[in-house]
Amino acid sequence: MLEVKNLKATINSKEILKGLDIFIKPGELHAIMGPNGSGKSTLANVLSGKTGYEISGLLKYKGENLEEIPIDERAQKGIFLAFQYPTEIPGVNTSNFLKTSLNKVRKARGEKELDTLSFLKKIKVISKELGIDERMLSRQLNVGFSGGEKKKNEILQMKILEPNLIILDETDSGLDIDALKTVANGVNSSRDKKKSFLIITHYQRLLNYIKPDFVHVLANGKIVKSGSMELAEQLEKTGYREIS
Amino acid sequence: MLENLKIDISEIDKIGKFTKQEKEFRVKNLDFFNEKGLPNKKDEDWKFSDLRQIVSKNFKKLDLKIEGSKNENFELIKDFDHNHIMIVDGRLNSTNFQFEEKEKIQIKKFLNENFKNKRERNPLVHLNHALANNGYFLDVADNYKFKKVLVIYNIFTKNLNDNILNIRNKIKIGKNSELHIFEIVINRSKKNFFNNTFDTIDLEESAVLKNICINNEKSSGFFHKFRKNRLLSNARLNSFIFPSGPKFNKIDLEFNLEGKNSECYLHGASYIDQNDHQEIKTRINHLAPNCKSYQKVKKVLDSEGKGIFQGKIFVKDIAQKTDAYQLSKAILLSENSEFDSKPELEIYADDVKCSHGSTSGSIDEDSIHYLMSRGLNRKEAIKLLVNGFLNEVIETIKSNSLRKYIQEKFESGFYEYKKH
Repeated sequence: MLEVKNLKATINSKEILKGLDIFIKPGELHAIMGPNGSGKSTLANVLSGKTGYEISGLLKYKGENLEEIPIDERAQKGIFLAFQYPTEIPGVNTSNFLKTSLNKVRKARGEKELDTLSFLKKIKVISKELGIDERMLSRQLNVGFSGGEKKKNEILQMKILEPNLIILDETDSGLDIDALKTVANGVNSSRDKKKSFLIITHYQRLLNYIKPDFVHVLANGKIVKSGSMELAEQLEKTGYREIS
Repeated sequence: MLENLKIDISEIDKIGKFTKQEKEFRVKNLDFFNEKGLPNKKDEDWKFSDLRQIVSKNFKKLDLKIEGSKNENFELIKDFDHNHIMIVDGRLNSTNFQFEEKEKIQIKKFLNENFKNKRERNPLVHLNHALANNGYFLDVADNYKFKKVLVIYNIFTKNLNDNILNIRNKIKIGKNSELHIFEIVINRSKKNFFNNTFDTIDLEESAVLKNICINNEKSSGFFHKFRKNRLLSNARLNSFIFPSGPKFNKIDLEFNLEGKNSECYLHGASYIDQNDHQEIKTRINHLAPNCKSYQKVKKVLDSEGKGIFQGKIFVKDIAQKTDAYQLSKAILLSENSEFDSKPELEIYADDVKCSHGSTSGSIDEDSIHYLMSRGLNRKEAIKLLVNGFLNEVIETIKSNSLRKYIQEKFESGFYEYKKH
C-alpha cells in the first residue's frame, strides 16, 4: 500500500525528515510514536502532499510514485489525512462540503455522484454509528467546534470518503475519554483487508483502544526502532529519552 | 478636457421650467460645483478615489441629454411574489403594488422640495442639486406593514452613451410602518455612463426598513450614490449592499440616529476584480441616547481590483449608552489588487461602547490545504473559501427565497477566479 524509502523533507532550509523508511501492506495498522519535534506532523503533511517541502527519496502508494501528484489527486486516489488541527472554514456548511468532497472522490473513482437524498441517508447512518449529533452537520465547517467535535468530524469524513490509506495525525491529542472512544470505534469499525492505517501519536493512550500491528519510534527525522505493541507499552514507562 | 469640467448655466434651463426659488437653488449649487469641479485625491473624502482622474481617463464627454429611445425587454423575477417599481435610466417608468392597500402608499416623480442653500462637503451632491431631472418619491403611511417585498428594478439601457445622470430619490416610512425593499441594478448599456444619485430615507418613529441592494452585473457604469438616512426614535434600518460589478462604484452612506433607541445595521459583501474600483464610505451620527449601529463590510479583491472602506462613527455628547460596532475585512487574491481602509471614531459622550476593526490579507494556505486534502482542486478550494467568506453576510438575510435568489445571483458574478 505504502512504500517509503530514505525519505528526506526540508522546509525553510531545515531538514526535518532525514531518511525515513516505512512499508505498509494492505490491511495493516501501523503506529508511529515520537517526541515533540521528531518530524511526526511533517511526515503526515508530506504524505498528504502539502506543498512547501523539498522532498527526496522514494514515496510510493499502490505502486505509483507520489512525487508529482498534488494533494487533491492523492485524496481522490484514496489517501486520507485526519488533521491534528482541522481548519475552521467560515461560511461553508459542513454537510454541503462533505457532499462536494464525496462526489469529487466518487467521480475520480469512476462512480456515480450521489444526489442530496442518498447522501443524506448515508451521512445519517454514519453519524449514528459514530454517535455524532446531526446538528453538527448543519453548522459551518469546524467553526466554533470543540476539540472533540473537530476530531469526530475528521473521523466522519474518513468514514464517508472510504479511503484506502488513512493517516491520523495526533488525532488523540486534547481529547476526553468519550471522544477518544468515538475516534477509536471509527477506526476499528473501518478496519478491513483493503485498508491500511498509519496512526501518528505522542502517547500510547489511543493504542489502548486501537491495536496496532506494528509500532515504530520516530526520533530526529528517522525511524529508530520498530516492534509490536510491547514497544509502545515500554515507551510509556521509560519515555522517549531511552531510545533517542 | 474633463479634468476641468465646468457646466454651463444654460444646462439648467434645458431640464425644464422652475420657480424662481428653485432656479436660484440650482444655479447656486452649479456655482458651488463649478468652483471645485470633480473631486480629486486632494480632497480627504476622495483620497482613495481620484474621481477627476478616473473620469478623464474613461470619458471623452459627459452628456446630460440621452439620445436614442430604444426599448428594453426584460423579465420580472419569478422566484417570489413582489410589488415593484421600475426605473429606466433614472426615470420612474412603472409601478405595481398589487399585494398592498393602495391608499397607504404614494409614489410619484420626485425632484426637490427643500431649497436650503448649504455648502456640502461633496461636490457631486452640488452637481445633483443643480441638475437632478429624474427620480421617485415613495411615501408609506403610518401603521402599515407591507405584505410583500418591494422590488426596485433599476435599469440602465443601451441608450446611454457617455451620459451623466443626476437622480434624486426619497423614501419616507411613517410611524410603526414596515417595508422591505430589494433593489436590483440591471445593466444593458454597452457604453460608459456616470450615474450620480442622491437618496433620502426618512424613518419616522418605530418605522422599520430592510433594504437590500445588489449591483453585481459586470457593467460599464460609473456609480456614485450619496444616501442620507434619518431615523427617529425606535426606528430600525437594516441595509445590505452587494455592489460588485461596475467599473467604478462609490457608495457614500450617512446614517443619522436622531431619535433615541434607533438602530441601524449595514452588511456589505463584494467581489471586485478586473480593474474595478469600489469605495464604501460611511458616516454614522449617533445624535441621541441608547442607539445602536453595526457595520460589517467584506470584500474579496482579485486581479487589479481596488477596494476601499472609509467608516466614521460620530457620537454626540448627549448620545450616552451608544453601542457602535464596525468591522471591515478583505481578502486579496492577487498581488495587484489593493485594499485601503480608514476607520475613524469621534466620541463626545463618556458612557459608550464603540469598537472598530479592519483586517486584510491573502487567502489562508492551511485552509486551502485542508480542502484540497478532501479532493477539491486549488481553484475549487479558493472558490469555496471566497464564497464562504462572503456568504456569511448573505446568510444573515432571513427570507429564504430572497436569500437563495441573491446567493445565486451573487455567485454568478465571480469571474476572475477562473484564472487561478
